[in-house]
Amino acid sequence: MKQILLVTDGCSNVGMSPVVAAAHAKSEGIAVNVVGVLDHGDVGELGASEIDEIARAGGGLSRLVNTRQLSQTVQMMTRKTVVQTIQLAVQKELKQVLGNGSIEALPPEKRGEVVRVIDELGETSGLQVALLIDASASMKPKLAAVEEAIHDLMLSLQARQGKSQIAVFHFPGSRHGDDCVLDMAWTEHLNGMHSIFPKLQMGGTTPTGPAIMHVVDYYLRGQDGETGRKSRYGTDGMMGDYVV
Amino acid sequence: MTTSFKLELRRGTIVVGKWKGGRYRVERLLGEGANGKVYLVQKDRDWYALKVGADAVDLQSEINVLGTLAKQKGPGIEPFLFDVDDLYAPNGKEYPFYIMRYVRGTTLDAYLKQQGAQWFPLVGLNLLGKLARLHKSGWAFGDLKVENVMVADYGHVDLVDFGGVTAIGKSIRQFTEIYDRGYWNSGSRTADPKYDLFSFAVLCIQLHEPKRLHALTKELLPQNRSTLDLSGLLTSSSDLKPVAGWLKQALEGGFADAAEGAEAWRLLMHRRDTRKSSATPGWLKGLAATTSVLLAISIYWLLRNMM
Repeated sequence: MKQILLVTDGCSNVGMSPVVAAAHAKSEGIAVNVVGVLDHGDVGELGASEIDEIARAGGGLSRLVNTRQLSQTVQMMTRKTVVQTIQLAVQKELKQVLGNGSIEALPPEKRGEVVRVIDELGETSGLQVALLIDASASMKPKLAAVEEAIHDLMLSLQARQGKSQIAVFHFPGSRHGDDCVLDMAWTEHLNGMHSIFPKLQMGGTTPTGPAIMHVVDYYLRGQDGETGRKSRYGTDGMMGDYVV
Repeated sequence: MTTSFKLELRRGTIVVGKWKGGRYRVERLLGEGANGKVYLVQKDRDWYALKVGADAVDLQSEINVLGTLAKQKGPGIEPFLFDVDDLYAPNGKEYPFYIMRYVRGTTLDAYLKQQGAQWFPLVGLNLLGKLARLHKSGWAFGDLKVENVMVADYGHVDLVDFGGVTAIGKSIRQFTEIYDRGYWNSGSRTADPKYDLFSFAVLCIQLHEPKRLHALTKELLPQNRSTLDLSGLLTSSSDLKPVAGWLKQALEGGFADAAEGAEAWRLLMHRRDTRKSSATPGWLKGLAATTSVLLAISIYWLLRNMM
């Protein structure tokens, strides 16, 4: 299961529409969740509707919260989206078996069995969450809360029985021409990791759309890259022991 | 993040189950959990609690846990799942609901305010007993907090809202930050008996030192929160002094499960120095005060009549 979690506080203003980018993500099987962080001032009507629409296009959830609720919201959203992703897959199967896709339409006993399967899969299947953090100037006072939320999410994911990984990105990049910068590659723990965003230079434009595309790209390349690296190790002789 | 949803059932509404046809008359709203609203309802003159949810999968997940628990009928586990069905709301939409035992009583903090803090040790022991039964059958309660503990006459304890109940070894399904071991950087969010005992200790602190606990969550940086801060609070609280050692041990994961914790708690309650803390019982003080007032009035009358 793959998710992107976008944390932002306003409107995108450069490059491709984030709604289109989110739809791209969805078509690659990546759900996009969006959290709008408020705190003094607000995201504006335009910001709020964009946040809502990105999540809708990305097949995920959206919430507007203040920093104090951030950790809990991120944790709950991720969990809910896992259930939703599995639910969609299960409903597809149901459609083939029963000719009726909705779990609500089942009588309570049957529903119980289906939900048992959903819960089991939700707990045990592999999960990747890429966090995409808006680091434009207005987000600066909220970054501490964002870091806390990331640590908190990792803690919740580690409690799962299935393998869970997170990666962290922020945007815009500090240099010109970068839409998005990778802060932390896929990892299963944050032990000893105190600062995820060291010396972040904040400011500039808000290229939300291109940043989402960058992460989708990372998802696709990342897996290719991994296998590529492995085979390289193989030819280097590092995996020679395994070759019979 | 509670999922609040618009559905409201008015007093007198008759709820009819779509699949099994059970009829329930709505009396009033009892409370709201993370997965839905709980109403007091009546059927054939018996009272029940009806929980209605917005999301069929979320609520069913909770029902599954209750169903499994109900099957593991052991000594002291009362039946609590009576009916599962869907209802048609006034707006024409369908919502899933289930019927459980109606738990009479008041919330833990209200009970101690009304009946007096001297009930706390017994209520604590009874609560540990409830948790011990869950642990014995392979579950952790998960979302243990003041609001989820109901107390009835003579310190009888019941747990409500089973949305957080999790099989041991899986990730806790629902929790509340300040009661959460992970929030205090003191362990994982994987369900185990020690998780509940940690929450139990925070619950005791919440009951006696709510302001200082709240202040602690405000002033500490997330990465600096630790069991030590909670222990520090314990040792400096006069109310918690008799159980401070026990609570510290629970925070540090020193008890294997609630049964072991309950045993240690019981021993503590029956030690004389724990009980001796207030030497003169309240009623005796009251009696003394009344007597002196009566005496004063009599003297006054006497003096006036003599004049």
